[in-house]
Amino acid sequence: MAMETLKIHSLTYTYPGSTLPALADVSCTIRVGECICLTGDSGCGKTTLLLAIKGLLRGNSLSGAIEFAAPPNDDGRSTPVGLVFQNAESQILCTTVSEEVAFGPENLCTPPLEIARRVRRSLGAVGLEGCETRHVERFSAGQKQRLTIASVLSMNPSLLLLDEPTSQLDSRGKQELCELLTGFKREGYTIIMTEHDPRPFAAIIDRYLPMAGGRIGAAAATLPEPDRYAAKAAVILRSTAVDDAAAIAVQGLCFSYPETGVALKQVSLQVMRGERVHLYGDNGAGKSSLLRCLTGLERPDSGTVELAGIANPRPEHLPGKVGVLFQNPARQLFAESVHEEVAYTLRRLGWSSHETEAQVTEALTLCGIGNLAERAPLTLSFGEQHRVALAAVVAPKPGVLLLDEPFAGLDFPQRLALLDILAEMSGRYGTTVLIVSHDVLPDHSWADRTLKLSGGLLGETDH
Amino acid sequence: MAKPTINNPGRKLLRTSDYACQYMTHDSMVHRLGAGWKIAFGTLLSALAVGARTPGELLALVVVVLVYYFAARLTPFDLWRDTKFFVFQAVLVTGLYCLLSGVSRGLWPGVRQSVQIILFYIPGAVLLRTTRTGDMMRGLRRVVPYRLSFLVFVSIRFVPFFLRELNEIMTAQRLRGARLLPRQMVDPRNWGDLFHCLLLPLMVRALKIADDVSLSAESREFGSRKQRTFFDISRQAGPAGTMSERDHPDYPVALQPCDPPGNGKRKGLI
Repeated sequence: MAMETLKIHSLTYTYPGSTLPALADVSCTIRVGECICLTGDSGCGKTTLLLAIKGLLRGNSLSGAIEFAAPPNDDGRSTPVGLVFQNAESQILCTTVSEEVAFGPENLCTPPLEIARRVRRSLGAVGLEGCETRHVERFSAGQKQRLTIASVLSMNPSLLLLDEPTSQLDSRGKQELCELLTGFKREGYTIIMTEHDPRPFAAIIDRYLPMAGGRIGAAAATLPEPDRYAAKAAVILRSTAVDDAAAIAVQGLCFSYPETGVALKQVSLQVMRGERVHLYGDNGAGKSSLLRCLTGLERPDSGTVELAGIANPRPEHLPGKVGVLFQNPARQLFAESVHEEVAYTLRRLGWSSHETEAQVTEALTLCGIGNLAERAPLTLSFGEQHRVALAAVVAPKPGVLLLDEPFAGLDFPQRLALLDILAEMSGRYGTTVLIVSHDVLPDHSWADRTLKLSGGLLGETDH
Repeated sequence: MAKPTINNPGRKLLRTSDYACQYMTHDSMVHRLGAGWKIAFGTLLSALAVGARTPGELLALVVVVLVYYFAARLTPFDLWRDTKFFVFQAVLVTGLYCLLSGVSRGLWPGVRQSVQIILFYIPGAVLLRTTRTGDMMRGLRRVVPYRLSFLVFVSIRFVPFFLRELNEIMTAQRLRGARLLPRQMVDPRNWGDLFHCLLLPLMVRALKIADDVSLSAESREFGSRKQRTFFDISRQAGPAGTMSERDHPDYPVALQPCDPPGNGKRKGLI
């Protein structure tokens, strides 16, 4: 029987200002070398539990106990627990790779010679050796994720906590991370991760701990609720309104940045009215550049774009005709109530208050947030904010809907629910929907066509 | 020859820097200068820029500042990145002077003030472009506590991040019908959009990022001890930019006295 490395007894915590506990009487025991996956819907308390283990929860409502086994040869220059956060961008504090990895040991007053050893060893462990002097801004999302892991490894933790480590990664990045964690497990690290979709890590996960409402359920050796990840094709409406007119017509599009060179090469694309298309590709494949060219935010070097009947559109031409939803809903929410937020574009378009009222109600109902109409958008959960942002975009019933990485931060049921709403849009209003993402769809049957962008070249896939 | 593509790492990039004031990992005499010296020299140049009055003084200062800038192996493209907003501002200031006082009387004061502002700013840009986080903190900690020097550095480090956020928010809001273009700002009726659609979401994002940054620093034990050591990356860099202890056997030990091990805040049993 392996030795226990972490014991949690009756841990309870309530965030300041909240009435419901985020963690309620959580107890569990983790053994040395185990890989544990915390599963559950958004807001079930997974991240809060990781913060509690790391000792980062603020306020005095924390009760219960967390015990670590004493690490061997503890000289005070190590930390028993290393936590890798979900968002690598805001976790990286320094400008170069070495500085970032050295940051933790420096805070532990580690002598510089020892820091040098740790930096080299940690970068080697994540496959970034030789990148010591590189600027972190030039790294891909996958490299940034590996750097954040190295910056934690350099503090010699025996327990590694990873919060949604794949949320910003494309399929290649996920595979690399999976190989990395397999190696860590072989070396004896104890790993606790939270993951919306743990299936890629099934080979290394020893136990799944399901969470709901701040409580931990019975541990399972296999993925709990496998049906949860199954496509719900039966509930997705087929698009019926596809007609011969093109809603998106791109011909010979070339685009390059003065700094980075060619991003799009002779891209031609035609999406018919009412069609549902999924466009995917790895990070840096040119997806965002294509979206920016489509919406007139960037001017292509050559080629033509026609969007919702507008040739070479400018962003100011699009409200009401084309809806665009970006990855982070917090970037577009500002109104005092959900109702005001959804009504904003309609008012800007000069709709009457009667029409606005009816359309807002319809959009809120479509997105399943009618009960939130009077709530302040910024006080809602991420999933609810996402729906508010979507309702605001679909309220004017745009002919074309463009979505950039719409699944980021959503759990699996939320992703399927989003596809349902989008299917309803195309089925009910004949809206053309183009989803751009770095991952495959949670339900392949949603899309009429799937396109892959790679190295600036567009190709059709069999999905 | 293969055409450069974003997925071809072997290509020669036109890119020099991603944004204004980005740290560049070159090796130059300015890079090798200590952060304290750069702060002192930059302050002197900025003070001279404020004091310059005659065309001759300004011209001489322009030459000195440009020599300082290019001695850091920065390119004209970098200079454009660093100063383009000031160039637009210069055109505006000079134009307003000419409008108010006539071309003959307003041109020189407008040009002088615009050039002074740019010259005042460039030494700061050189400091940011040539100084690493650690070096900057090492330079600053001689005059302020290390926690404060870190605060100053992180504030600067995340400026480009917020500029990107600003751009993303502006893009999202313009596509929803917000009137945020400079020409639309001429109409005071659109000023409300600037606050509600741009500044409010930016503030919310800034608070969120600040929280993330503080959690990241705290999780890596920042501030848990009274002192910290400083790792000098430049002295560990080998010829190919990789670290080699054998190349530097005389590497110094801890630069500052530290608390004894175990004296810091350790979280274990609640």
